[in-house]
Amino acid sequence: NPGFPHNISRLFAVAPHQKGKVQEEPVLSIQNKQAQNFDWALNKLDSSVRRTGRITRALLLRIFHDMCRTGYPSSNQALLLLRSCGSLLPEVPLCERTELAHMIWGKLQDLGAVYDASHYNALLKVYLQNEHKFSPTEFLSKMEEANVQPNRVTYQRLIAAYCNEGDIEGASKILGFMKMKELPITEAVFSSLVTGHARTGDMENAENILSVMRDAGIEPGPDTYLALLNAYAEKGDINNIKQILEKVEKMEGNFMDRDLMQVIFSLAKAGYPQYVQDIMSHMRYERGYIPDAMNLTLNLITQGLEDTAFQIFKSFPSLLSENHSESSMDYGNFFLRHCVTTDKPLSKLKQFCDELKEANMHSSPLQFTLYCALESKKADLAINLMKTMKEEGLPLRPHYCWPLLVGYQKEKNVQGTIGVLKAMHELGVEPDVETYTNYVLTNFDDIQTFRALLQVIILVECFLLFFSTEAVGYFLYNLIDSMSDSEVQAKEEHLRQYFHQLKKMNVVIPTNIYRGIHNLLDIYHVPELIKVCGYINTELGVSALEEELEKLKAEKQPIGNVLKQLIVALCAEENMQKALEVKAKYEPDMVVGGYAALINLCCRHDNVEDAMNLKEEVFRKDSSVALDTNKYLALVQVLGKHGRLEDAINILKEMKEKDIPIKDTTVTFFFHILNAAAMRGGVETVNRLHESILMLGLAKPSTNLCSPLITVHLEKDDVPAALEATIDCYKKYGTIPRLHDILCRLIEQGNTDLLQKAMDFMSQERGEMTMLYDIFFAFLNTGKYKEAKKIIETPGLRARPARLQWFAEKCIAANQMETLENMVEMTQKLFECDREQMYYYLLKLCKISNDWQKADATWTKMQEENVIPRERTLRLLADTLKNNGQEVPFDVDVNALLYATSMQCDIAIVFFFILCVEAYNILLEAQKKYIMFPPSAYSTLIKALLAEGCLEEAIKVKNIAETHIKGFTLNDAASSLLIITQVRRDYLKDAMSTLKTVVESDMVPIPLAVTRLIQALAMKGDLESICAVEKMVENLAASIGLSRMLFVNNTVLAHIKNNNLDMAVEYIEPLFISGMQNPDSPIPSMSYVFRKVIEERLEPALEKLSAMAERLVNQFGVYKPATDLFLQYVDAGRVDDARFLLQRCGGIAEQKKILMAFIAKSSQKPGQKLLTDISCNFYFFPLVLDNDLASAKTLFEKVKAANIHTDEIFLKRLAVLLRNAGEPVPFTEPPVSVFSD
Amino acid sequence: MAATRGSSRRVFELFVSRIPWTLTTKELKDYFAQFGTVRKCMLPFDKETGFHKGLCWVGFSSEEGLHNALQKDSHILEGVKLQIRQQKPRSFRSQYADEGVADMS
Repeated sequence: NPGFPHNISRLFAVAPHQKGKVQEEPVLSIQNKQAQNFDWALNKLDSSVRRTGRITRALLLRIFHDMCRTGYPSSNQALLLLRSCGSLLPEVPLCERTELAHMIWGKLQDLGAVYDASHYNALLKVYLQNEHKFSPTEFLSKMEEANVQPNRVTYQRLIAAYCNEGDIEGASKILGFMKMKELPITEAVFSSLVTGHARTGDMENAENILSVMRDAGIEPGPDTYLALLNAYAEKGDINNIKQILEKVEKMEGNFMDRDLMQVIFSLAKAGYPQYVQDIMSHMRYERGYIPDAMNLTLNLITQGLEDTAFQIFKSFPSLLSENHSESSMDYGNFFLRHCVTTDKPLSKLKQFCDELKEANMHSSPLQFTLYCALESKKADLAINLMKTMKEEGLPLRPHYCWPLLVGYQKEKNVQGTIGVLKAMHELGVEPDVETYTNYVLTNFDDIQTFRALLQVIILVECFLLFFSTEAVGYFLYNLIDSMSDSEVQAKEEHLRQYFHQLKKMNVVIPTNIYRGIHNLLDIYHVPELIKVCGYINTELGVSALEEELEKLKAEKQPIGNVLKQLIVALCAEENMQKALEVKAKYEPDMVVGGYAALINLCCRHDNVEDAMNLKEEVFRKDSSVALDTNKYLALVQVLGKHGRLEDAINILKEMKEKDIPIKDTTVTFFFHILNAAAMRGGVETVNRLHESILMLGLAKPSTNLCSPLITVHLEKDDVPAALEATIDCYKKYGTIPRLHDILCRLIEQGNTDLLQKAMDFMSQERGEMTMLYDIFFAFLNTGKYKEAKKIIETPGLRARPARLQWFAEKCIAANQMETLENMVEMTQKLFECDREQMYYYLLKLCKISNDWQKADATWTKMQEENVIPRERTLRLLADTLKNNGQEVPFDVDVNALLYATSMQCDIAIVFFFILCVEAYNILLEAQKKYIMFPPSAYSTLIKALLAEGCLEEAIKVKNIAETHIKGFTLNDAASSLLIITQVRRDYLKDAMSTLKTVVESDMVPIPLAVTRLIQALAMKGDLESICAVEKMVENLAASIGLSRMLFVNNTVLAHIKNNNLDMAVEYIEPLFISGMQNPDSPIPSMSYVFRKVIEERLEPALEKLSAMAERLVNQFGVYKPATDLFLQYVDAGRVDDARFLLQRCGGIAEQKKILMAFIAKSSQKPGQKLLTDISCNFYFFPLVLDNDLASAKTLFEKVKAANIHTDEIFLKRLAVLLRNAGEPVPFTEPPVSVFSD
Repeated sequence: MAATRGSSRRVFELFVSRIPWTLTTKELKDYFAQFGTVRKCMLPFDKETGFHKGLCWVGFSSEEGLHNALQKDSHILEGVKLQIRQQKPRSFRSQYADEGVADMS
């Protein structure tokens, strides 16, 4: 168990889990918890077994999978699992238990578990418990092959196996082996022989075994008698059973309840349930009765003996109920659940439920049984249970079917969904809106294909068969609502056919839903569809309204309102003819609302004459009347369509005059109007309408709105005009619409002159890079890959992610796989191109087109290119593969990875990066199998492990590499990383020896590694080692840029750490004094020492060093240490100390170079430390800025703006500066202080 | 009681747990309506399983309704005893995220 720290798992969180419940939790947390989980799971298994005497298959499998993932099952763990595959699984059928045992046996063996006799014995026990038939001789020879010596237990169990089959001869053979090996013959052997003889039908001999035992000096114990009891139970011989029970009781021998349960089981299994009660009366209800009896119950149910099981269950002592509150008096949940799991027939379930209810043991057994059926997605059972509940008068609710629908939803199983809906309908439970929207309609969110639309028709047929037209209505509404604007437009023809179909089916939907659909279609600008859709509206209202109208008219009452309703109803029905007739008939009574609806209707029906007449008519009545935006636009559209350009423009003008509100959708509508005109080829119409819209300020120019200006030419295939138009657009509005299409056309036509012109234009206006991308995309799109490649390889070209994304998404939307693939391939060498992103696009398209082969190939390509996938990309890939029933190759299956890596060493490196832990595991695994990787792989893995702080694992890999690869040495970088990690872990001796190896093998460590080591040594006060390291790197120091002060300062610190302050001062002080005598050499800095001493709060040392610094100032005029100390005080926020030091050594203020450097450095720190830091900083600002009035003033402004307290010394200095320059002083000058001149 | 009277926008919330799977919003709403006007009744369903989680937030439009509900000894609906307690006033969303925090003061 490698025991990785948590942070490393983060790296590997990419591998998705596929199994069961686990998937529902976030992948990340699972990976993190994995290590703990394993121990937790083992404990849980252990406690489950101890508490209940059973475990569930799910728990067992989970532990098993965890064990496989972690890599190295210990033989103990293997034993634990194997031993759990027998009677500890009462809920699992016998043969499945054995299969489980075999599966675990094989898999753990593959993972390197070593089996000894204990494992073989455990397997034998499992065989016996599961009544598994096998050949004992074969078993023995397998053990021999594996070089495992059978022991006494092995032989005993083999004898038991023979005896269970009634094979006394076989048992004798094994007995012979035991005698030969002088193994003792125990009671267990004799018990088996009892069983053996009984199974041959010879009860006399079975009884005789007891005297044989006594002759051999073994007194028959409970085991032997139990064997005898079971033997009689199998014969149904209750009298002998009773006799034996009495005899044993007289002998004061004890049968445990658990033993008696075995007898009960034997009786039930042999077909004598009538005697069970006799045995029950001998129960003593010991501690542990309940769990044992539950296991018996479960076991009986599993083996089809549920009646006996129920009998046992009902006899559970009532002590159970006393611990529970009155509200949860439901017993038997486990019983019902297991009956559901094992597919007991409905009648049985019903019978149990009734009895439970009658016995007041359960308040709602049927509901609970239904819950179990739903939970395990047993649709038929669930529906039958609901039928039963209905018969019982129990309420049924729509949400009862949700768990089933959820399942079908996930599988996209339309038939299943319909089946459930049908069943619910038959049960008289009408699905509610929630059922439709959340659990039914989401099945059909994929309307990409026509096939899906056909499904829709089928579904509607089904809906009609089983439900109301309302259901169809909901369905249609949701379907259309789920489609986007462009989808509806693209599928207009399909939808039209589909509405016709519905009409043929005589489908009519309620008006309110029809209105909803109508509104949706209105938003999508598909007037044709609205018309067709009208066919399926109900007649509701029209005739009634007509009658009402006649009635009112006859009564001479006002008819305005009803008239309007009638007109609107007729419009909704798309009955233009009739609507116009009604209008003509009652013209004087027409109100504005009626006109508006009618105008819109005429527009929809392309009846421009009537529409305009109606508009004029209503305006004659009231000229201030304004229609709503969409009705005006509908008019513009239809006028444009009929070439009545001036009228259309007039409408636009009217919209402006009447201040009609313009929304985003209005602008979209403008585009549709212009585009429709462009499609019809009306150049003038497009241009004039466009111009009017912009001139009137109804919309702002945009690429989208301008594109019809170009479209109109492209539609006529007049590419030169299109190019002109787009250049014109650029001049007028700054947009370049449809350039890509123009370029594509030019390329297709081979019009090199114009192409050149377009390129020149782009290059001039938008720069060469943009132009190159444009032409690149155009070549790609037209399949001229050779040319495209040339363009993208233009030297100096770099990646423009936004543009690449634009084209990639265009390809994805248009399903242009080949084009996209070419782009991805061609951009391989493109500077700064995010390769992962490119492959992401490709995989996205693979997913959309559901092309797993392509996805798989892409994955291989990524590996070839050493692209490290991000998580979302892997997920996309995994989804695509999974959707097609393919295996996901990067699951944590160690063997698969091992295989892949050993096949292709290159891939190994990629894997190492992504799956470091897996790589580590693989490597250990590989080592066992003598598979080796190239040396670089080991270095890479070591580095990756070190980067995550996994020192032990890294060392282990290093050792493997060193022992298996001749002359393997870690490279410079990995070694340096190793040193740093060792230092971090405080393994300084190891770090030193690593450094030694590096230096001795003529490699160069990175300076940081040496620095970290020296610093750590100093903190330990290890002077000797510092010297040693200094010696080691003596020749390297200068060349890798290690400062001599590194050693000096750390030596000082080491002295301080050893509490040798005098030594520290004696060591460093002369350096400064001698440095003074040699003005050429750079003045050493001991800032690091000061900082460390301040940080570590070593006050005595600080005092000593401070005294030294002052001494250097006062006696030698060496300011460097004092200034450094001052700055370190400032940096640490120790204002007072800084102030005192400054007062004592005023000359610090003159160290402009040092101070300047400090300011420069600290101003680069994030957060503008310079301005926001303590006011102490200002002690030296004025000094530094001496005579630089401009800077001082700027600084003052900044300080003021930042609302920082202005130091009086600063103000004083500034005042002096200002005065000297003859400028006014804009603040109150502070009184004279220590620093005044 | 921290509640201030008269602020009509406030909802007085009750946290209900141990709701049997057979019940849904409608039954709960109908039941609690006997104590006062129920403005909100949120019973989240798990979209993965199709079952609800046995927890519900019932919002009364008046403090009185909440009071009445809290005053009743036990709430038994279709034979099952529901657990109720007052929910600290917060947005519905955050309650959901931090279920079971209740202050009976």
